[in-house]
Amino acid sequence: MSLIELKNVSRIYRLGNQEIRALTDVSLTFEAGEFAVFAGPSGSGKTTALNLIGCLDHPTSGQVFVNGVNLGAASKRVLADFRLQNIGFIFQSYNLIPVLTAAENAEFTLMLQKVPKSERRAKVLKLFVELGIDGLEDRRPADLSGGQQQRVAIARAMAAEPHVILADEPTANLDSHTAEELLELMRRLNREQGTTFIFSSHDDRVITQARRVIHLHDGCLADDVTISS
Amino acid sequence: MDFVRLAWKNIWRNRRRTIITLTAIACSIMLVQALHNLSFGVYAGMVDSGVRAGSGHIAIYRNNYLQSRDETLNFKNGSLIEDISHIEGVEQVLPRLYIPALAQSSRESRGVMLIGVDPEREKQINPFLKTLPEVDMIRSADSRDAVIGARLLDELQIRPGQKFVVTAQNEDGSLHSELLRVRGVVSSGMKDIDSSLILIGHDRAAQLTGNSGSVHELAVILTNAGLEAEVHRQIAAKLPQDRDILAVSWEDAMPNLANAIKLDYASQKFIFMIILLIVAIGVINTLLMSVMERMREFGVILALGSKPMTLRCMIMLEAIILGLLAAAIGTVLGSMATWYLVVVGVDLADLVPETLEFGGVVFDPVMRASWDPVWMFRIAVYVVCLTLLAAAYPAIKAGRTTPAEGMRHH
Repeated sequence: MSLIELKNVSRIYRLGNQEIRALTDVSLTFEAGEFAVFAGPSGSGKTTALNLIGCLDHPTSGQVFVNGVNLGAASKRVLADFRLQNIGFIFQSYNLIPVLTAAENAEFTLMLQKVPKSERRAKVLKLFVELGIDGLEDRRPADLSGGQQQRVAIARAMAAEPHVILADEPTANLDSHTAEELLELMRRLNREQGTTFIFSSHDDRVITQARRVIHLHDGCLADDVTISS
Repeated sequence: MDFVRLAWKNIWRNRRRTIITLTAIACSIMLVQALHNLSFGVYAGMVDSGVRAGSGHIAIYRNNYLQSRDETLNFKNGSLIEDISHIEGVEQVLPRLYIPALAQSSRESRGVMLIGVDPEREKQINPFLKTLPEVDMIRSADSRDAVIGARLLDELQIRPGQKFVVTAQNEDGSLHSELLRVRGVVSSGMKDIDSSLILIGHDRAAQLTGNSGSVHELAVILTNAGLEAEVHRQIAAKLPQDRDILAVSWEDAMPNLANAIKLDYASQKFIFMIILLIVAIGVINTLLMSVMERMREFGVILALGSKPMTLRCMIMLEAIILGLLAAAIGTVLGSMATWYLVVVGVDLADLVPETLEFGGVVFDPVMRASWDPVWMFRIAVYVVCLTLLAAAYPAIKAGRTTPAEGMRHH
């Protein structure tokens, strides 16, 4: 059974009288341990595809399965729980909670899972060491660089040990050097821990690092290339 | 505790706005508490004055006397005064005989209400007599001394020390007269009192009507008004079980005063509600702004796996903490204001007539507060609940958003 399956998925947004077809009849599967990217220009449907996989949104038609679970008809409550247990997110603009420290941000999903504080902290500190941001636990996001913030976001995404991490344009706000560092970091996590990473990006640095590139164009599947290592 | 810490941090996200909101809520609590305590003190003072000159905290009458004021409805007090005096909390028991009579001087005559009192007991309690010098006071219960109202004195065209005659109906129906001498003059400030009051010794009054050993009223004065319910219960147990003699509270015996206080306080409560409503609107606005500013963050929190109800609870927790903090600060300020109003008070002497009457009692222009901690606590709790209520709409709104919608905000 594939980890993720999109079956004839379409997503149409209605803005007043206008219909916007963000995704049209897309069928895809992803296996555990993949390091894949949705590539394409702005408006091609990359973020929509990621949102559907991450059950942040419902498909207009078609079905989305994650870990064998059909997410289509589930309630908000069930979807929230599913995301908490199975999916990690990394966002373009980091989206850290500004009033929390770096460690508290990274612990947030564990807090939602009601993991005891000492256990949460131990886990997050270990992750911080792996991600090269140990010593920054008590800093607020405003006191961190872009690269540091994104590492904290990666720690947050990884802390609950999800089956898949979805990263929406994770390097868009970073300089080249930092972006490459982070990509290497995520590749290492993918290699060593087997965490599935699915990106959306139009950044060539990300696309060239991926082992599978799914090209979208105007909401349609244009190409699906697996690069042998 | 994690969510409490998060809520605490979120409250101070916009320090200035939070301080302004806290100040508004705290000041409203202070105002409402202080005004209530001031009213509480004023009412307590008025009740105290009223019961001491009137029926007492608890009054004992023959059945139906209150309604009819029929002077034939008197009763023998026997050992009741002694028995009641020994109840804990009773300061004094004042026997009174009320006799409608005609007062006549050589020049004028007037209808009056003659009150036979125990001068020794009455002097200790009755505010009309407390200010009288000893030389002006009724010397004994059977003396011919009378203390009369200042207006009545003028109307009868007599002076202190001069004689006048009172005529009343005896128990057997015949008219009986007594010669009295003006000993002291009372100026209460109330027209009705000053133009009809005549106090004489109880025994002299009894001789006038042939009611030796009888009273119309036993006015029970308590050391503390809060003991009324308990003392009432004990007095009722000592009364004959045929219910011909009843104990009633001052509210039933002096309905004018009771109703005046109720009406005044009802209008105050309305003002308090307006104050709190205005504050609630301000809090709704603040919380709504705070929520709308964080829609993107809420989208992220939902995306990370928070249930909508968890998000709503987070917002409600912020409101609870805000409310509790404001309640604490407000109560401290309210206590300080109350302390000032207890110790210093508000002097309205320049603003009100010298003898303003309220509910049949002279209004003391120096208003002093009295502590009512139960009510102060209650108003603090109301405000916390109001803050929670104010957070309901913003919380519902936040919980309704989807992660994707929330993250589209900037």
